[in-house]
Amino acid sequence: MDTLKLKKAWELALAPAKQLPMNAIGMYMTGNSLQIFSIMMVFMLFKGPIQAVLNIQGTFARLETEGNKSNMLMVKAAFVGCNCLALALGIWKVNGMGLLPTTRSDWLAWETAREPLERAYFVPS
Amino acid sequence: MRLPLFAAVCILLRTAVAVFADEAWNVDYHYALLGEPQEETTFFHQPNPTSKASLIYTLSKRGFVGAVNPRDGSVVWRQLLSPNLTSSTSQGFLRAGEGQDTIVSGYGSQVAAWSAADGRLAWTVDMHGPLKDVEILELSDGKIGSGAKDVVALSGGGSPAVQRLDGASGAVKWQHKFQEGDEVYQLSASTTEVFAILLHKTVLGYIKIRVLSLDPVNGRKTSEYTLSSENELASADTIISVGANSASPIVAWTDAAHSVLKINIIGTKTVSSYNIEKQGGQTVENIRIHAPYHTTSLSHFLVHYQTATSHWADIYHINFARSITQIAYSLPNISGKGSFSTSTSDANVYFTRITQDELITVSSASHGVLGRWTIDNLGVVSAPHEAIVPTHTVSELSVKGDSVSAIRTAVLLSTGDWVLLRDSKPVWARPEALADITSATFATPSVLEDFQHKLDVETHSNFVGAYLHRVKRHLEELKHFPSYMSSMPQRFISGFLGTTDEGAMASDSFGFHKVIVCATGNGRLVALDAGSANRILWSRTAVDLGSSETWQPGLSSRADVIVLEQGSGKSQQTFNATNGDPLPGIPDTHDLQAGPRVQYTLRDGVLEATRTDKANAGSVWHFTPMDGERILHLVPRPSNDPVASIGKVLGDRRVLYKYLDSNLALLATANDASKSAQFYVLDTITGSILHSSAHSGVDLQAPISSILSENWFAYSYTAEASDASTKGHHLVVGEMFESLVPNDRGVLDAATNFSTVQSGTEPFTLVQTYQTPEAISKMAVTQTRQGITSRQLLAVLSDVEAIVGIPYSALDPRRPVDRAPTKDEQMEGLFQYAPVIEFDPKWFLNHQREVLGIENVLTSPALIESTSIVFAYGLDIFGTRLSPSFSFDILGKDFNKFQMLATVAALAVLTFVVAPLVMRKQVNTRWQFT
Repeated sequence: MDTLKLKKAWELALAPAKQLPMNAIGMYMTGNSLQIFSIMMVFMLFKGPIQAVLNIQGTFARLETEGNKSNMLMVKAAFVGCNCLALALGIWKVNGMGLLPTTRSDWLAWETAREPLERAYFVPS
Repeated sequence: MRLPLFAAVCILLRTAVAVFADEAWNVDYHYALLGEPQEETTFFHQPNPTSKASLIYTLSKRGFVGAVNPRDGSVVWRQLLSPNLTSSTSQGFLRAGEGQDTIVSGYGSQVAAWSAADGRLAWTVDMHGPLKDVEILELSDGKIGSGAKDVVALSGGGSPAVQRLDGASGAVKWQHKFQEGDEVYQLSASTTEVFAILLHKTVLGYIKIRVLSLDPVNGRKTSEYTLSSENELASADTIISVGANSASPIVAWTDAAHSVLKINIIGTKTVSSYNIEKQGGQTVENIRIHAPYHTTSLSHFLVHYQTATSHWADIYHINFARSITQIAYSLPNISGKGSFSTSTSDANVYFTRITQDELITVSSASHGVLGRWTIDNLGVVSAPHEAIVPTHTVSELSVKGDSVSAIRTAVLLSTGDWVLLRDSKPVWARPEALADITSATFATPSVLEDFQHKLDVETHSNFVGAYLHRVKRHLEELKHFPSYMSSMPQRFISGFLGTTDEGAMASDSFGFHKVIVCATGNGRLVALDAGSANRILWSRTAVDLGSSETWQPGLSSRADVIVLEQGSGKSQQTFNATNGDPLPGIPDTHDLQAGPRVQYTLRDGVLEATRTDKANAGSVWHFTPMDGERILHLVPRPSNDPVASIGKVLGDRRVLYKYLDSNLALLATANDASKSAQFYVLDTITGSILHSSAHSGVDLQAPISSILSENWFAYSYTAEASDASTKGHHLVVGEMFESLVPNDRGVLDAATNFSTVQSGTEPFTLVQTYQTPEAISKMAVTQTRQGITSRQLLAVLSDVEAIVGIPYSALDPRRPVDRAPTKDEQMEGLFQYAPVIEFDPKWFLNHQREVLGIENVLTSPALIESTSIVFAYGLDIFGTRLSPSFSFDILGKDFNKFQMLATVAALAVLTFVVAPLVMRKQVNTRWQFT
């Protein structure tokens, strides 16, 4: 019974990884433009893994027994890892949309022009 | 292949920032000015002999000949006689023959005939010498109405001559040349003879008047006589008048002290002499003669005496039988300055006298007053308690029985306004003094200045403080709430119907109602409202200028204070920008920051810079142009030139850093011998040349203009035709960067301050040349409050009388050459370089209007970021508001308020209607079982 439960748990843990290719294709198809549709998709992409990780205990509660507790830790780690992969996909997508402040231009507003120490004035003769 | 092309077209469309149709006659304003009319060349005349309707024709001081509709003051037509705007001393002549549909002008050496109705040129003749007089021959040879009347013109210079020109074609019918020696002075024509008045200088330096009479048919001299005027005439200035074209022309002169008046009826030798009695102990300053201008009129004339405090007039009649003149009656002495005009009706002659508060018409035959009106208000803006003095007038009247039934008087006032009075009511006023603006500046009215200051406090204090300040500000504003509420319906209706009258300066939260203060050539300061068209806020005399004096004042503004600098001693006067009141004292210059300061100035063709801080004062550098070169002009970077972003973001989100230095200046020099022009970008602290370019084969007669703003400069010149290229107008744009490598800030890297004396950094400059279809005579650049909005280069095209606003993206030197732009470049908005910039019709700020003779363009930021206020002056006045990146922070006129309100209303109605239905349905679902 424990083996079966463990098998089921592994299946659950790897499920997000199986969705990855489909998600990736979906993300690729939506393009890098900032539109309401693609923004919603990206939001869902972030919301899903984070919610899944937060509900991790509930997800595995009915499969967890005294016997497979040590093995379950591995399963949970794999589940978190898979969700992290999904998150990474989301971050890749956000970067592709140009929303990550990774380039010089994103910090340009915090750079200031150099102040000249001397000032010159034109006086019309 | 198609896609990039399509993208490029899209970008092109996007950058075509234009004047929108709904803004065209709304945000812009234009004064089609003529310049101050001259007394001798202004008259009422019927352009169509069969109709009674007349226009006012004038040849102004600024060289315009034009016609003004007396009904509303609009310009029917106008022609500029002197293309080069040098205000020449030649006074010009304008004549209209009785019952003619053409008018004849003489200016410089050109005689031209214009169609009186529409201003089309009929013919023009060059006289090979400065014109002394132009007259129309009103011959009494019986053939009345037989086409155009002929013109006689007198030219001076090296070979003085009288020519008779055919009225229809301008062909020379005959020419009479004078021997050299005597100065030719004027022409006069009676119905049977043409008289030429010559001035003969005696050995003692006095002047004798020589009169030659010529046969109008063949130009041969019939007789000649000399008047003994040598006792009085020391110079030609005291010849008052040579009455032309009246039934019996006269010549009148006086002595330098204005003590005796001598009158001679031309054609006779008798000289009548009249002693001028002094009235009120004042010496007579000015004597003028007003005579009718028609050969069929009674030969009566009026002599107007003006002293410093009062004026009077005598009316003279000419007795043909005894060929003498005699005083018929006198008009009483009235204090103050006055002006007279002559009108005719059939043979009768009427004189109209205008004083500061009265308009009186008398007949030339008797002293009975035919009409008297009190003038309460002239309808012009002037300083409080200023005496508005009529300078000269023309009038047109209709007489019924013994009284004047209607009179229209066009009077030029001392304020420089040209006003038409119908009876005594002002109908319109044309601010003709504005055709001669010597200097102008933008200023902020105090209301706006306070508001701006409050906003600045909020941006600079911390979050909580700013919030509290804002709440306090809004609470304070609550006291305006009742008046706001009471004006609400009016505002609502006007905003709703789109008939917004943006009059109120107090409620100007966008900062459109800036004050433009202009110094005019007649010594006055005139303030215009930049937000509402055709509104003069105030006008006052700044200096008392004599008739021939000119001034070149410098105007500048610090917030709501106008600083007027004039004279060699640079005396300063300050005025309140809102109402023009003079302010005591000179504003302190506390806004100038401390630290080392350098002043540079153009003196004797050399650019000199001196340090003015106390520590180490003295000369720093000077820039002397090379041999044969002369400095054309110097354009410093504007002192208020905010830049929002210090770098340009590339398509791949890297940054190209701009070379921003507030101490840059662009200097243009020309070499007349080698026909070349040089342009230098100078660092004005060290005097080093950061960029220079030389162009050979430059047409130095054509205008050369330049501008420097932000990190870019632009200049234009006209290249002569050569073997390699054709003649064309070039526009060169250069942009300076700290480094051409993206993400690199050069050697100084992240240093927060720098001194060009110590580090000596130099910019990397990208330059691109474009050909423009028109020569650019003046450049300016739009200014916005924070510099976020993209910029437009404003170019004055004097040849087509227009101003274009060229978006900077069209001039960008980084446009890819000879290849299509890459995807990254497309993202940036760059499109392929094309050597010719065609001016998009949508770029023309003046759209349908013709703006003549623009000499300078000023720009100023509004309170909202998107908008820049533009003011152009010269001969005409033109002003508008520009949003180079569209109006992103204000609702445009295209916003459909009606649709929005209708949608809201419809939704509200729908909610009220549907709510009970839904409620009933919900209740029913609970209770009903299917």
